[in-house]
Amino acid sequence: MLTKFYLKTKKFPNKCKIFISEAPKNRYLLGKNHFMTNLENQIFSSYQRNPELYDEIYDQKGDIKEVYQKLFELYGEHSIEDYVNLNAKAKSSFFNQGITFQVYGDNDSKEKIFPFDLFPRIIAPEEWDIIERGAIQRSKALNLFLWDVYHEKKIIRQGVVPMDLIGSSVNYLDKMNGVDPTGGIYNHISGTDVIKHNDGKYYVLEDNIRCPSGVSYVICNRTALKRALFGVFNHYQTHTVTNYAENLLELLESVKPKGVDVPTCVVITPGMYNSAFYEHSYLAKTMGVELVEGRDLFVENDFVYMKTIRGPEKVDVIYRRIDDLFIDPLEFRPDSTLGVPGLFAAYKKGNVTLANAPGTGVADDKAVYTYMPEIIKYYLDEEPILNNVYTYHCSRPDELKYVLEHIPELVIKPVDEAGGYGISIGNRLTKQEVERVKIEVEANPRKYVAQPIMSLSVHPTYIDESESFEQRHVDLRTFTVMGKDKEFVLKGGLTRVALQKGNLIVNSSQGGGSKDTWVLKK
Amino acid sequence: MGRYIERSEHIARYLSVNYFSSLDAPNEISQSRQFVLQSMLFMVGSPVDDKTHKLQEETILYKIGLDPAYDFSIINNVKHARENANSARDLISTELYEAINKFYHFTLNYPKEVFVKNGLYDFTTNVTEMTAVLRGKIRGTLLHDAVYAIIMLGMNIERATQIIRIINAKYHDALKAQGSYGDKFSKSFEWTTLLKCAESYDMMRRLYKKTPTSISTLEFLILNPNCPRSIMNCLNQVYNHIKILHPSNRYDNQSTAFLIGKVRAEYEYKLVEEIEGNIQIFIEDILHNLTQISLKIEKEFFSF
Repeated sequence: MLTKFYLKTKKFPNKCKIFISEAPKNRYLLGKNHFMTNLENQIFSSYQRNPELYDEIYDQKGDIKEVYQKLFELYGEHSIEDYVNLNAKAKSSFFNQGITFQVYGDNDSKEKIFPFDLFPRIIAPEEWDIIERGAIQRSKALNLFLWDVYHEKKIIRQGVVPMDLIGSSVNYLDKMNGVDPTGGIYNHISGTDVIKHNDGKYYVLEDNIRCPSGVSYVICNRTALKRALFGVFNHYQTHTVTNYAENLLELLESVKPKGVDVPTCVVITPGMYNSAFYEHSYLAKTMGVELVEGRDLFVENDFVYMKTIRGPEKVDVIYRRIDDLFIDPLEFRPDSTLGVPGLFAAYKKGNVTLANAPGTGVADDKAVYTYMPEIIKYYLDEEPILNNVYTYHCSRPDELKYVLEHIPELVIKPVDEAGGYGISIGNRLTKQEVERVKIEVEANPRKYVAQPIMSLSVHPTYIDESESFEQRHVDLRTFTVMGKDKEFVLKGGLTRVALQKGNLIVNSSQGGGSKDTWVLKK
Repeated sequence: MGRYIERSEHIARYLSVNYFSSLDAPNEISQSRQFVLQSMLFMVGSPVDDKTHKLQEETILYKIGLDPAYDFSIINNVKHARENANSARDLISTELYEAINKFYHFTLNYPKEVFVKNGLYDFTTNVTEMTAVLRGKIRGTLLHDAVYAIIMLGMNIERATQIIRIINAKYHDALKAQGSYGDKFSKSFEWTTLLKCAESYDMMRRLYKKTPTSISTLEFLILNPNCPRSIMNCLNQVYNHIKILHPSNRYDNQSTAFLIGKVRAEYEYKLVEEIEGNIQIFIEDILHNLTQISLKIEKEFFSF
């Protein structure tokens, strides 16, 4: 049970509701004064809720949602001091697990961890069902779209999407034209970023089907939370996230080349200085396959081999974490030292499978995104399960005109960038900046799309500086694995948090943190 | 990785044992702080040429323990071990990786001022204990396959190298700090320190039941196959592990396995009397052999 306190403060006159969980009974026995001090020390005692934002743990009436109640009580029992300790414990778990990145200073490089929030996000089974079905639907539709644009291009000929969409895309690989990937799968692994808007509905922000990363954080976040607060899991039936690797391996084996009985799968990485190396090694280890670099492989008579101390070993399936243009210096960038000469020729002959297939980038282009409802309808004859954010194409003259006139109300995004780079959020720009964006968009309209500013839902997040919980915007990256007659969505996903107050960009490269995400069992 | 783990342990132990045993050493030279600091620098391969130069205790301890600017420092060895573990992260167990990582963060975050003032014992004990944990994790959590064999090869070659370096350093010390009666060199207190540096003192006493002398110490640490720190034992281990990497009944005479077998056979039938007469030459000889073995391993198994 919760006690509600309505207080007025200078900052949020009339708006601020403060919720305090009921203190254990014995605290009452200690007398009123003592009780009050305890309240001040409890971590939720200063949580300020701005009712204009959609808060994940409150319903519309301002009560804690049912799924969060127990958790709220459990966390509410901790004093600030306890919580600071637990936080330190979780941090050391990340250091010991080696989930760190380097920050280079003047003399020495420092290791840092990605900020992790101990208060998990909970997704109820019925909500998850929508996300899961939606993610599979999108992945399937994108796969059919990719097959089509690299083969007959019916969708363009029938005028559902414009020719220009792929004709001008830098990620369209001409060399993939007419190539049949094994099992007909292009996007074996997809990462779909979804948000909840203030209307309470889920929207897809973007599809990532080149080399989506982040899945290892999902698993490590869970490990860190289990280590620090194992007791909370007794009260919730949460789906595991540790089965990702086995599903990924099953997928990779399902797309083995013809004639192979027991396939040899490998993960290829750019090397240990890549920022996602931890993830590459984690996936290789948990799948029990070799992690290789380009120099560990070679091609002979259009078959791929791995060098071992016992001689060459044939490789059948490669989970690649190297970008398209670097996989084969003979076909793409000649200066690439990360790839394997001759790999693409072996791939075209069907002697080796690459996951994801080269050329998938054309479909996670932000301009293609805007046609997703049409693409889903065209290939699957279904209505989209997850909403798309309405998008203005700057390449269309009338829409460009609208965008140029309404920049302060829109988010302007380059179509071919990842990691949150190059995004301008209209209401955060100064007048001069608005002018600058206008000039850029006008000069290169194909490069930009614009969307109304979505209000990402917020979630209580522990903020180190203020030693209390505050509202922060969150999104969710889901991971979908698709093979021959197989699809799997990891029941969990990476909830990313924008740690700066009011910030809407959650990408880790922009100073975002993350949360463990619980999908509850039905 | 095996090499770096092993090396950090030997250096830590050498620092600690020398420092603390000098506190109850029998004569003035062996008690002298300068003597101990010089010995430490000699052991890590940075001998002091100018004997009149006065060494600062805190500077030297920092240099060998925590100074990232010196390749031989313990912190750098741990860094390298961890770097290796990072690149082989997919091959080793999570338990081993986390233990190495914990070790790394421990050394990295150890406060410098505490270490040089009063943390020497604490730090070096922690280092030796953590390396023992790592050995346990290596043996107990890895598949005993080629990866394990490579780690163990490194570990045993390094152990042999460090033991011989320690013997070398203590041999020089024994020449300087001789005993007070009889054969002064042979009865130097430094032989006891040497055995303690190799954590072999008690077992040596159990076997020989006498105060260590030059001959019994050298026999025990070099030729006794049952002493886990002896050169002979290391060579036997190296031989066993190379057979996992390269299983064959008969080895081509250019192979690493052939060279290891040859070196091993030489020491198997050696008498301590043959060594005692010219320790210096023997030491150089074995170091040379160990280097040759390392180079061959690198060429045969690491360069494609």
